[in-house]
Amino acid sequence: MRRLSNWLLGGFISVYALFVLVPIVWLAIGSLKTRFQSLRSPPTLIFQPTFEAFQKVLAGGVGHVFGNSVTIAGINVMLALLLGIPAAYALSRMRRPARKNLAFWVLSIRLAPAFGLVIPLYAFIRGIGLIDTLGAVVVAHMTITLPLAIWLMMSYFDDLPVDIEEAAIIDGASRLGVLWWVIIPLSGPMIVAVALLVFVFSWNEFLFAFILTSSEAQTVPALIASLAGTMNFDWPLMSAISVTALLPAFIVILFAQRAITEGLTMGAVK
Amino acid sequence: MVSFARRSARFPGVFLAPAIITLAAIVLFPTAYLLYLSFRHWVVTRPEKYFSGLANYGLVLGSSTFWHSAATTAVFVAASCLVTLVLGLALAVALNRRFRGRGVIRALVVLPLLIPPVVAGFTWRFLLNREIGMLGSWILPSLGLNASMLADPNLAMVSIVIADVWSRTSFMFLILIAALQSIDMSLYEAARIDGASSRQEFTFITLPLLVPAIIVGLIFRAIEAVNVFDLIYVMTQGGPGTATQTLSLYGWRVAFTSFDIGRGAAIAVVMVIFAIIGTTLLSRRVLR
Repeated sequence: MRRLSNWLLGGFISVYALFVLVPIVWLAIGSLKTRFQSLRSPPTLIFQPTFEAFQKVLAGGVGHVFGNSVTIAGINVMLALLLGIPAAYALSRMRRPARKNLAFWVLSIRLAPAFGLVIPLYAFIRGIGLIDTLGAVVVAHMTITLPLAIWLMMSYFDDLPVDIEEAAIIDGASRLGVLWWVIIPLSGPMIVAVALLVFVFSWNEFLFAFILTSSEAQTVPALIASLAGTMNFDWPLMSAISVTALLPAFIVILFAQRAITEGLTMGAVK
Repeated sequence: MVSFARRSARFPGVFLAPAIITLAAIVLFPTAYLLYLSFRHWVVTRPEKYFSGLANYGLVLGSSTFWHSAATTAVFVAASCLVTLVLGLALAVALNRRFRGRGVIRALVVLPLLIPPVVAGFTWRFLLNREIGMLGSWILPSLGLNASMLADPNLAMVSIVIADVWSRTSFMFLILIAALQSIDMSLYEAARIDGASSRQEFTFITLPLLVPAIIVGLIFRAIEAVNVFDLIYVMTQGGPGTATQTLSLYGWRVAFTSFDIGRGAAIAVVMVIFAIIGTTLLSRRVLR
């Protein structure tokens, strides 16, 4: 009986792994075809792979789109850590009732429907003439990344022993000194993990970027969606852009394991 | 210890203020502004703007397209939640035991959650394409399914659910495996001594103890599914016709292709109210 269920579970895992992998492999294969090869029906797996599509990504005018995405995500990382770490530390060391309310409020922002936020943000940003600027997207993305950073860092700080900082404070250190000289050095790997996760959330985000930009400040997901809206599909080019857009996800899977469970479920696990 | 607390009396405020003020400015203020906009007549392409009371809400709630989109949303959310729950539970149980290569499999299972939904949508659209996609032009026809998945109203809904399941099952998996790992192993040992079969262990120990995690997972997933925009936009743009036009897409169409900001805002407010009612009902009913 136990052996049978082991077999079933093993089989299930294998099938599921295929279900996850096949689309990614198909995308990668698609990115290595020429446009002509990609339009063969039925498709073929036997073809001369080429980097033509990736060369188009590098040569064509989409370089600035990748630049925009990197800039927006990078600024989000900096701001989320700069504002988020002190706030997370304060929340983590606060007396219980007030902390619980504030922390819950921060968490509930994650559940706010993006569609509800994008309309007023659009109206306001349009009103002050900042549509299609990087700053507009940065601000919109902070509604996602700042709560994420606060929440993750807070639950990490909760697990740090407080005796060292109490000793430091009795020796006359200020709270800022404690944060800078005691807490942050203890949190290096977690800060890196949170930074990577913040980067990916901003990098992946579509709705805000799509509504708030048109060309100048367009991000990678907005570019893919606008190409998907055209009639004349260049499948290899879109596949190549998509494959490139996957890189941050792979980096997080490899290097940010410790923040993944909590970061991706955000408070649902704790 | 008293002096420790007193000395730091001013401490939390200064550290918290920048983040809280920022969040208030980018979340609370827009929420209030959304409510304000929902009471105003404002079409971006036309000059007149004025207070219109509940007119936007009347237009929204009186429109059959709105209710049709609400029904479409309900179908999509129910299907996606149910399938991700079943798959996520099976994955959590399967990956809760030790075996060689578990770390790699676990990483693989989580990966889709980190992939931009726009890319997930595009990839499935590519796979399902009737002429050049692996599924659409090889595998499905050889199974006797010749229709074009994204061109048929019902199959288009099936397609977006599959893509959403591909993208979001790992969320359910992460919540459920965390809950599984917190179950006290001695319960299983006791059950085994009493001669329980593995199926009895699952139905009488594992499942009951997972119920709170399942509910939390369903609530989060339902909210997420109501808000799905990117995946559907890339795969079908709500089509064919309005077969996959969920409320997010309908709201987007009203606010950003008809440029009726006031009516779009009213749709968003109604969506928020639906979400609050839904989650309250779900958590009340099952937690009681």
